[in-house]
Amino acid sequence: MTRSMGMFTCFFVWGLFTLSALAFAEQDSTGKEITVNERRVLSINGAVNCTVIDPLFKAFEAQHPDVTIHYTESNTRDLYERFLSEPETRADIIMSPAMDLQFKLANDGFALAYQSPELERLPSDSYWRNELFGFTYEPIVTAINTDILAADDLPLSREQLLNLIRKKNHLLDEKIGLFDIKKSGIGYLAWIYDGQQSRSYGRLLEAFGNHQAQLYTDTSSMLQALLKGQVFVAYNLIGAYSYQWSEQYPWIKTIMPTDYTSVIMRTAFIYRDAKQPSLAKRFIDLLLSPLGQQILANQSGLTPISPKAVGPYSRDALSKLPHGIFRPIPLGLELLIQTDDAKKQLIYNEWDNAMRPLSERLSSP
Amino acid sequence: MPKTTTSMRRQLILMVSMVLICINVLALWGAHIYANRATKVSYDRLLYGAALQMAENINILDSKVFIDLPVSAFETLALSNSDRAFYAIMNSQYQVLTGYNDLPSIPFTQLLLQSTEKEKFIPIYYEAPYHEENVRFVALGKRLLEADKVNDVFIIVGQTLGARQAAAAEINRMALHFVSLFFVITLLLLLFVIWRVLRPLQAIKQAITERSPLELSPLETNVPSEIAPLLKSINYFMAQLDTTLERLKRFTAEAAHQIRTPLAGLNSQAQNAIDETDEALRQKQLQHILESSNVLTNTVNQLLNRATLTHRYQSHPFSPVSLDQLTKDTCRDLVVWALERGVEIEYVGDIKAAIDGDEFALKQMLQNIIENAIKYSPNKGLVEVELMSANELNDAAVVLQIRDQGVGVPDEDKEHIFEYFYRSPDNQASGSGIGLSIAKEVAEHHDARFHLKDNEPTGLIVEVIFPKRTLPKNRYPKPKGARL
Repeated sequence: MTRSMGMFTCFFVWGLFTLSALAFAEQDSTGKEITVNERRVLSINGAVNCTVIDPLFKAFEAQHPDVTIHYTESNTRDLYERFLSEPETRADIIMSPAMDLQFKLANDGFALAYQSPELERLPSDSYWRNELFGFTYEPIVTAINTDILAADDLPLSREQLLNLIRKKNHLLDEKIGLFDIKKSGIGYLAWIYDGQQSRSYGRLLEAFGNHQAQLYTDTSSMLQALLKGQVFVAYNLIGAYSYQWSEQYPWIKTIMPTDYTSVIMRTAFIYRDAKQPSLAKRFIDLLLSPLGQQILANQSGLTPISPKAVGPYSRDALSKLPHGIFRPIPLGLELLIQTDDAKKQLIYNEWDNAMRPLSERLSSP
Repeated sequence: MPKTTTSMRRQLILMVSMVLICINVLALWGAHIYANRATKVSYDRLLYGAALQMAENINILDSKVFIDLPVSAFETLALSNSDRAFYAIMNSQYQVLTGYNDLPSIPFTQLLLQSTEKEKFIPIYYEAPYHEENVRFVALGKRLLEADKVNDVFIIVGQTLGARQAAAAEINRMALHFVSLFFVITLLLLLFVIWRVLRPLQAIKQAITERSPLELSPLETNVPSEIAPLLKSINYFMAQLDTTLERLKRFTAEAAHQIRTPLAGLNSQAQNAIDETDEALRQKQLQHILESSNVLTNTVNQLLNRATLTHRYQSHPFSPVSLDQLTKDTCRDLVVWALERGVEIEYVGDIKAAIDGDEFALKQMLQNIIENAIKYSPNKGLVEVELMSANELNDAAVVLQIRDQGVGVPDEDKEHIFEYFYRSPDNQASGSGIGLSIAKEVAEHHDARFHLKDNEPTGLIVEVIFPKRTLPKNRYPKPKGARL
């Protein structure tokens, strides 16, 4: 999958802006449209589904009628690599759930420090150094197509999932969906955290390898596959999407593992050399404000970081669902290890060894 | 009104504050140094700890360096949560095996130098700017051994200085709070102490202001020993003032009486002279008036003289006086006047006598005594003035004798003739009655004694005995008791 294919762009228009003008702006996204149309453009690069984050953009544009948000969506890993390799494409704000990659960028000095007044209201571990701001609180879940269960109970923990895999054995060959940790930042993040947290990590890896798990680059495609019956079990999905899916297709159950439930934060930072730093700051303010958090809780399906926001997707609502101990992945220097090349190589090697086709593994000495 | 010099209280407060400020600034400075050192040491240990944990997980496997960094190393770094961290692991060819590949100013030479001297690598700390922030680095070497191969790797871990600066600032802030509190409390205590110590002065002031201006009895306020001399001086001054006032009062009364009486006499005599028709009688009366007027003039002169002397006693320091020369001069001055009265003056004695004293006053004394002697001498009489050293008297250095050949003074009068305005009932000679008392005062002022003896076959010997011990130079004499 090439980068240009894996990325699509959405625009949100408010006011008198015409579609043609938008198209013009898209072609000429170097900031020229500001002088042409006398409108300001806030550019955001994100790895957040644009339909999910849309209500927030609309709210921002409602507050600032002369501002257009120019949002480019891409996969977490692409977002990161493109940020480093193509400095000219860097947007004012970078949003991504791949906390480690975001952290690395902030640690390397790409983030603009901004003491948002909203930070006081938020948990102190939801931001780092006034540079990187966590704005969601999202469990990593397992989704199961209940068709596979037959008479069996829904596996609620990793232990039970392993038992189920053992029991169903060949029924699950090539029917387990996983993030490709080499391609998806979020998949890598969640997987390496499992490695740090779980005793069942080794057995899970072995079980996934033995059943030739299918690898995906994003949650949506994994859920699609689940719906189509291409896989029956999908491990380490982003909860918000999965729960929405479960609502739509009741036979797809979403489980927060009861041994422990990893929690990730979507994070945003302002690019150090942002073209519109003040607009970017105001967007961050909205994102972290009670209003922004409330919009997330009510409309996006993403669980907001603020425990005070109420709504169907609030933290409160989340904690009422069956779950294990919520273990938020700390937003701090610990994340640096995940970006370490040597470490990554070790993980990749381990992963490759487990995931290569069975025949290949059997033939090797 | 004396000029107000700076207040003692204000000066004390100022000095105490200055000393306190100095101490507190020193304390703050010390705390600042301590804070920086302590935080540096503790955060350096965190860095070193992280580097050690990284080093722990670097091994050699099949001639290849195998790195499996532990989370704990990063968790250690995360203890200073708000700081950026950077690290790199490099091989002996200075190639970055993992981590940041552009870390600045790594002291490889130092590290290698150490490695040759000692088996174990010693961490080297240094600071360098990186990614637009100052970063504190620790560089650590690790020697990997496999078979006969030696392979060195270098671990460099750096962290920005935010946490240590925040910690140092926190200690500094606490120190500042403590020192401010200490300052305020100490200052309050010292203010209290100053107030307490200076209170006796306030009490004296209060005691003096509360007095009536005529009350000159000694102050009986309880004061600390340092202030007692001041109180003593005040009391002494008041006693002196009291004496002076008393003396002045009595003298004024006496003088008024002494002047009014002859004036009244003069008045009536003059009246008589006007009414007198007999020319010869009138001439006689006018002669009387003239004589009375002379006496009055004399009296007034003596009074004024005495007033001058009294003033001198209290204002004039003593100076060396050649007593023999002074006596001779006085005699010489009086010779003519004495001869007019048919009296001779003879100065006998050949000693030199130097004493400390008031020359003017002494001259007055001599003049008064000698005049007195001349006045009471008969016609063709002789007044002998002699200055001698008096070895037979232990405490006397010089004795001045003035001997006349007059009628002498009966013993019962001897003790009275020095009183003011005293005149012997049998005394017919004109005189104010002040001269001898002035002489006696001068003598007392010089610690000398007066002694009256009878002369043979007739007459009076006035002896002035000067003590051997002369007063120290330039000392104001103590006032004498109010013996008038």
